[in-house]
Amino acid sequence: MARKAKRDLTMEEQLARGPLDLPFLMLVLLLLGIGLVMLFSASYYTAYRESKPPVSNNPYFYIVRQAAFAGAGIVCMYIISRINYQHFRWMAPLILAGSIFLLLLIFTPLGVEINQVTRWLYVFLVGGPTFQPSEIAKVAVVLFFAARLCKRDTEHKKRFTKRTGLGRTLNFLEGIGFLELVPYGVVLLVVCGLVVFEPHMSGTILIAVGAASVLFVSGISLSWFVGLGSIGAAGLWFIITQTKYMTRKINIWKDPWLDPRNGGFQPIQAMLSIASGGLLGRGLGNSNQKYGFVPEPENDMVFAIIVEELGLVGGFLILLLFALLILRGYWIALHARDKFGMLTVVGLITLLAFQVFFNIGVVTNLLPNTGISLPFFSYGGTALMIHLAEMGIILSISRQIPAPRKD
Amino acid sequence: MPMSRPTNTGGNRRGGRPAGRSRYEQGISWTGAPTSATRGTHSKRSILHRTLVLMVVCGVVMFIPLGWKLWDIAIVHHDEYQKLASDQQALDLSISAQRGNIYDRNGNVMAMSATVYSLILSPNDLVKSVPNKDADGNELDSAVYQANLAAKQEQVLNDLMTLLPDLDRERVNTQIHATKYSYREIKTKIEEEDTEALRTYIAENKTGAYLYLLPSTKRYYPYSSLAAQALGFVNSEGGAYGIEAVYNDVLEGTPGRVLTNKTAGGTERYNTYAQYVDAVDGCNLTLTIDATIQSYLEKTLDEGIRDFDVQDGAFGIAMDPKTGAILGIASSPDFDPNSYSQITNDLLSSQVSEDAAAIFEKLKAANTENLTDSELMAKAEAQAESNALNTQWRSKAIDSRYEPGSTFKALVLAAALEEGLVSESDHFYCSGSVQLADHTIHCSRRQGHLDQDLAKAVGNSCNPAFMEIGKRLGKDKFYEYFEAFGLMENTGIDLPGEASLKGAIWAKEKMGEVELATASFGQRFEVTPLQMICAFSAVINGGDLVKPYIVQSVSSRDGTVLQNTEPEVVRQVISQQTSQRAADILEKVVSDGTGGNAYVAGYRIGGKTGSSEVKQEEDHTIVSFMGYAPADDPKVIVLLAFDRPKPASPGNNKTANDIYISGGNMAAPKAGPLIAEILDYMGIEKVYSADESAAVDVSMPKVTGKALADVKKDLEKKNLKFRTIGEGDTVSRQVPAAGTGIPGGSTVILYLGDAVPEESAAVPDVTGMTYEKARSALEKAGFFMRASGVSTYYGNSTTAERQSVAGGDVAAIGTVVDVRFFNVVEDGHAG
Repeated sequence: MARKAKRDLTMEEQLARGPLDLPFLMLVLLLLGIGLVMLFSASYYTAYRESKPPVSNNPYFYIVRQAAFAGAGIVCMYIISRINYQHFRWMAPLILAGSIFLLLLIFTPLGVEINQVTRWLYVFLVGGPTFQPSEIAKVAVVLFFAARLCKRDTEHKKRFTKRTGLGRTLNFLEGIGFLELVPYGVVLLVVCGLVVFEPHMSGTILIAVGAASVLFVSGISLSWFVGLGSIGAAGLWFIITQTKYMTRKINIWKDPWLDPRNGGFQPIQAMLSIASGGLLGRGLGNSNQKYGFVPEPENDMVFAIIVEELGLVGGFLILLLFALLILRGYWIALHARDKFGMLTVVGLITLLAFQVFFNIGVVTNLLPNTGISLPFFSYGGTALMIHLAEMGIILSISRQIPAPRKD
Repeated sequence: MPMSRPTNTGGNRRGGRPAGRSRYEQGISWTGAPTSATRGTHSKRSILHRTLVLMVVCGVVMFIPLGWKLWDIAIVHHDEYQKLASDQQALDLSISAQRGNIYDRNGNVMAMSATVYSLILSPNDLVKSVPNKDADGNELDSAVYQANLAAKQEQVLNDLMTLLPDLDRERVNTQIHATKYSYREIKTKIEEEDTEALRTYIAENKTGAYLYLLPSTKRYYPYSSLAAQALGFVNSEGGAYGIEAVYNDVLEGTPGRVLTNKTAGGTERYNTYAQYVDAVDGCNLTLTIDATIQSYLEKTLDEGIRDFDVQDGAFGIAMDPKTGAILGIASSPDFDPNSYSQITNDLLSSQVSEDAAAIFEKLKAANTENLTDSELMAKAEAQAESNALNTQWRSKAIDSRYEPGSTFKALVLAAALEEGLVSESDHFYCSGSVQLADHTIHCSRRQGHLDQDLAKAVGNSCNPAFMEIGKRLGKDKFYEYFEAFGLMENTGIDLPGEASLKGAIWAKEKMGEVELATASFGQRFEVTPLQMICAFSAVINGGDLVKPYIVQSVSSRDGTVLQNTEPEVVRQVISQQTSQRAADILEKVVSDGTGGNAYVAGYRIGGKTGSSEVKQEEDHTIVSFMGYAPADDPKVIVLLAFDRPKPASPGNNKTANDIYISGGNMAAPKAGPLIAEILDYMGIEKVYSADESAAVDVSMPKVTGKALADVKKDLEKKNLKFRTIGEGDTVSRQVPAAGTGIPGGSTVILYLGDAVPEESAAVPDVTGMTYEKARSALEKAGFFMRASGVSTYYGNSTTAERQSVAGGDVAAIGTVVDVRFFNVVEDGHAG
């Protein structure tokens, strides 16, 4: 496609050619770089010990794959950042529909079972690398919600006949803002319902968090959050106190040494790993805990190995980079050209922030185990690609930030 | 998007009705009508605020608990958790140190360590190695699984039998099916070179999880039973018995450590952080023992035991009398330290069953636990076996006491000479017995030695003479010298188990006239053989009591000598002159006395015989001989003793093969050749006296073709006699051939003219003949005699004991027949 001269561009098109937000991009690349190095260090021994194909005792297996996906992800991020994000408005319902379709596919024989749970599909359905449709669903829900909620300001309230009971009820529901929420609720219920029955609790939580953040920022009445939040909390409390499984899980979270061999093993090993790091760490590559003590050091527990090797200082540095990335993300949201862009960024960044929070919270035993990976660090090629694609969307939005007026 | 679409379409579809309000009024539109109010009632401001709230929460607030938690774990609980982490990661391996070698004085290896392997099977893990799922991860049918398992076990059994055919198949089969256990030794002590096939098998079949080699060390004693008691052996706890025990700390070294990290699986991780503390290998020991001398000594003991039908074993010590360095120390029955728990000695093993029977009777008599006969027998057998093992591990030369008998007279003699109480010119009269209070003490020669000078009295080993000397010495002096000769204290040798001396001799105040008299000829008190040899050395080496030692030097692996043992003189007991005088007298014991059977031409051997009854037991005599040579400059002193030669019948004083049971008749003839052998080996040249040199071998000159007159001169020069056969003036043939060595004084045969010698002839039996008779008998038959044995061949008591070519055998004419002469000496009981 021949590139049009600048003067031939419409206003829209000109905006879409603005500069990328360089700080954000740099932070992403920095985290990705550190993530690859640390993944290599953490995964080396695990890969070496894993005799099953495709790893076959190849210590470079994880890092080579992750690096390849990171490369592909960067390309993907770049391409997406070049797309005028306004196109996502119309794409959003299609993406949502597509992701729901993929989630449904999991329940067909095409679903891939790993560790007794079915959360994956092959990229080419019958072969190729696996991916989690719930990852795509996260983005789809955020985009869809953002695309709809951005028009909230121009959407008129409805009035129904006061003659019938139904009408009066509808009027009442419209008055408290319920009717407006119905489509979102339906979408959320469908998506979350599909994900939760994979089963994939952490994915469900993240989708809910992403959706909630978009709803929250778009101005939905706080009372809904308070109300639904209280109901959720009550339900959670009920589950925790009334089911043995959850009670036990919570007890072990409170004191992992109750069951140091099974339930408490992971948090204990993670904590020992962090403690071994101390202030300055053992030095890159020198973790002792990665030699089979910390379970899945290349995955959810990678941060524990990072702190062991790079110390509290290194851990804080990475937290700082994440914090800066998140803050910069919100900054982009605040400066976004339109409400769609803003809501999209808020949704994606909040997702990222919560993922970081949940992961490191679990590693430090601040939270009970949820099984959420650390973006840019944990092993998982397709997940990494999707993360980078999300960053691409944010970068695309950052391109259309109006230049500050020169005063 | 339906919500944002103008919602009048529904109304339109219903058709015909007035638009707007009327439809609204009717309320039939379920989608409702848009109002002027928008849903997003919140201003832009509120959205901004909410975004900012989210920004602060997600970008800052959420990181606070994370940071706090990290700080709490990494800094606050650092030490506590770090310790837990190190505990689970640390791998503390011990590296075994190589045990030091033991060398004899010439550097021959007497004990060394080498790595051997045990083949270990874990039957439990073997079961686990058989998958109970098929390739698709489905659980196998139990019958199929059992069949697979059985097949695998059978296969391992077959493989093991192929690899190690000498295994007992039944035993291995039992081991494989002991599936509860995870440690079964299939085979132990596999040598390094035999592990090759096993290693390959383990690697190829990946059996590491259930079948593997475990290294350990094994102690080798290349000379097997040689010096067994001196060396001792090593059991699982380290050195037990002998040098291995005394020098255990020096030999075993210090095990090293590897402090490193491990994986969760327990495998060692090799990294630069590992701390290696090298094992310090044990030091090597060089002994004063000479393997060759030791072997001579043991050979002599074995011969004596066989020849004299000895019942309770024997012991022998060879020592350098001037330094106290032990050249050889042996005790019989012995054992092989390579397999120290086996009883190899026939005499001892036959004794085990006898003992077992005796113990069984005893146990049965006191059977308080109501055991069955078979249980009692098992107990008795175990006890007897353990007794026998202890017997063979003990070094009698050190840890047992005996009555020294007449050998002790040398000490009494030295003391009396030193005190000036006797002199060489003194004469003693022996009537055959002495009446002391209510005791009559007999001399070994019942008819008495009659008048004799000092040297003769010692040579005769005359008890009455020594009672007289003891009396002159007196109780106090006797005791003083007894102590001075080191007989009241342990020698301090670096071997374990010197016998306690408690009750070995009467307390001084309890020593009466009779005690002094018997003690003067070495009876009724006990010393250890080692003490005795040291004391005797002091008599003949110039008067110094030396401290015996067996380890010459301790050296590190690289050969650096860390510690060298210097000879140590405990004290000078007698003067040099006294020692010289005593030695002269003792030399005569061998050249012309009871020690005559120890005589070896060319070596000046001195010594003293001994025969002692053991605690007045019936028919229990220890016969011994203490000999040293060369008399003028002693290089070696040997103590040889045989415990309980078996009399032909109870009360008889001869053995079944007609040997008089006494030191002079048993120990001396064994000691003489032994000493000569040792001196020969040490490279000490024979020096012949005039009498001896006459009989020394000369080389037969070539005389054929010469005139008889010339030949006569030649032969006279060589100290050879001749007889002629045939007629003529020139020698045509000669026997023996030119260059043959024959004893001086022999009569060679010269053939004159046509006379031709016979090729061969039957050798006459000369045993029992006197020297001259034997010689002429042999020469008449065309042979030559080389005599050995006692120094004086002229008495009627000196008779040929054995000959190198048995009587009646055919030998080539001119063969030199070695004939050993023997002198029956009367030094028997109580002497």
